[in-house]
Amino acid sequence: MFLLEHDAKSMLSSGGIPVPHGFFVTSMDMLPETQPDGGGWVVKAQILAGGRGKLGGIRMAPTWAGVEPEIAAMLGRAIAGHTVHAVRIEPRMHAASEAYISLSVSPATRKIQVILSSVGGVEIEALHRSGGPVRSAQAAATANAVATCILGLTEGMHDAAATALADAGKRLANLFFAHDLTLLEINPLFVFADGSWCAGDAKVVVDDNATGRQAFLRNLLAQKASFYPDAARKAEHEFDYLVIDPAGEVGLLTTGAGLSMLLIDELRAGGLRPYNFLDVRTGGLNGDASRLVQVLRWIAQGPSVRALFCNIFAGATDLGAFARLLLEARAAVPALTVPMVIRLVGNGAEEARAVLTAAGLSMTSDLDEAVLSLRRALGQAS
Amino acid sequence: MDPRGFAAGKVMVQGGSGRVGAAHLRLMRASGTQIVAVVSPTMRVTDVDTVPVFPSCRAAVAATGANVSVAFVAAEQLLSAIREALQAGITGLVTPTEGMPIHDALQAACAVTDAGACWIGASTPGMAVPGIGKLGFLPDVSLRPGMLGVVSKSGTLSYEAAYRLARRGIGQSVWVGVGGDPVKGTRFADLVPFYAADKATRALLVIGEIGGDEEEELAERLRACAFAKPVYAIIAGATAPEGTTMGHAGAMVYGSVGTFASKQAALRAAGVHVAVSLAELEQQMEHGQW
Repeated sequence: MFLLEHDAKSMLSSGGIPVPHGFFVTSMDMLPETQPDGGGWVVKAQILAGGRGKLGGIRMAPTWAGVEPEIAAMLGRAIAGHTVHAVRIEPRMHAASEAYISLSVSPATRKIQVILSSVGGVEIEALHRSGGPVRSAQAAATANAVATCILGLTEGMHDAAATALADAGKRLANLFFAHDLTLLEINPLFVFADGSWCAGDAKVVVDDNATGRQAFLRNLLAQKASFYPDAARKAEHEFDYLVIDPAGEVGLLTTGAGLSMLLIDELRAGGLRPYNFLDVRTGGLNGDASRLVQVLRWIAQGPSVRALFCNIFAGATDLGAFARLLLEARAAVPALTVPMVIRLVGNGAEEARAVLTAAGLSMTSDLDEAVLSLRRALGQAS
Repeated sequence: MDPRGFAAGKVMVQGGSGRVGAAHLRLMRASGTQIVAVVSPTMRVTDVDTVPVFPSCRAAVAATGANVSVAFVAAEQLLSAIREALQAGITGLVTPTEGMPIHDALQAACAVTDAGACWIGASTPGMAVPGIGKLGFLPDVSLRPGMLGVVSKSGTLSYEAAYRLARRGIGQSVWVGVGGDPVKGTRFADLVPFYAADKATRALLVIGEIGGDEEEELAERLRACAFAKPVYAIIAGATAPEGTTMGHAGAMVYGSVGTFASKQAALRAAGVHVAVSLAELEQQMEHGQW
């Protein structure tokens, strides 16, 4: 889960990493009545996307009086397809130099990729391409190995940046492992004339699978669910559901990430508009229809949904039991009146057919045939 | 990496006395898998369908000579289950558990390498050599003995593809689900030497999906070793929105990394036939020279 900059900086701060003193604002009445200390201000859009600066998501206000108009111009605006619901306001920092550091999990080597530069505030890939001073190495996946690796990479760098990066590196390495991070990037790392430093920006990705043991993440999802809707939904319901096309016409009741993704690709290639992605995990239903009821309620909210397509290839799931749960869920969501096309394959498919037939529904075991039925249900000639 | 050896090995099932574990144990046995032990620290039962239950991996290995383990344990206990199996001398591990924390997977991968063992998972439906045995829960309706090697990130998509091909008489030699997690025990590229050498495999089917760089790494490995058998592929997620995790933890496009276009181009440059739909895949494979 990618964190908003404000939340990432709260996490850094809790780990003893200095950050500019900033505050989180979702409406004007959250602004302090008296002017806080600072000479010049930065208003930063809090969105789950990178590259804000180039898109007008980071604005300077030379005086406190200039802050409010900048906030007003930013709140409610869409940047890179994300509506700005909050901004972070920070005093402007006057750094002597800017550096760069990032730590990330490298799946291919099962190590931690460390990248450093004595030049920060620019895109690191571009800096690297232009022959800038970018240093990188991989370390074993322990805090000590990463800190040692960072120290080694700072050798021969100019004094202020080297000292700041080595000091920051140790704390960042600890934070990376303590919080189950998969990416931690500080760009820029401000280095001041007196040798002190702070994190000017922070890009942090936390492993959602570690939510159970990460109190910071759990609290964040509990308190700020509206800022992390997908992650909060997954944490609450333990399956994956995403609206992929708000004007979509086909609600999908599917399981398995790969097959669900490919089905979306194929429906789209055939000119149909699926409304949602779903990996409902039929193996986790355990005889309870509530997960299916929830999904049907969400799909019923799709203003253009005209058909429901249920495609389940069951590895271990008993399809007879699934068919009964499906009927139960359908009865519990009368708002969803659209026709349903059902395709089931696997354990207990014959029992499922009997259950569905008794309820006046038909099913097929062939995916291509099911897609043809879906087209007919949408009133399209095949 | 010897998946054939795994399927023909002496298998213990960690967590095999639970409801889910016991159900899969029966299905694995019915597929021919030689299951010699169940490990359950609580020891509520003494056997599962006559397979003896042991309180620890060490006891199970000592009494039965088990060399392969399939673990049905909760995500938060998976790292310690893997460590315990390795310490008992297990050399092959298959772990279907979903939701293993990435940092745990990093530690597990190191422990597996240090022990000189092999690990398939996490988040895998398992592997099978049809007619010999299966480890995990690949569905019987899709399994059919044949000459096609299958490697897949996605369970369900591989079930669907193999089911369609099996209906046309195309069966599998060795099928390995590597799983949809970003950090895992076995990656596509790790299996290239095995499939290159496996005489019963005449062609390879790769079932990929967006996110990460496993397909690109595979393409590089196929070229580097001049893989001589035909390779077919299908990749899910061509139309997935950027920056969104599509169900599998590893399935996310971010910037230009992990895109469908990058994977398709890399595989095609390595001579792989990349199909854009299941129907096209069936056509290509049925009419392919292999």
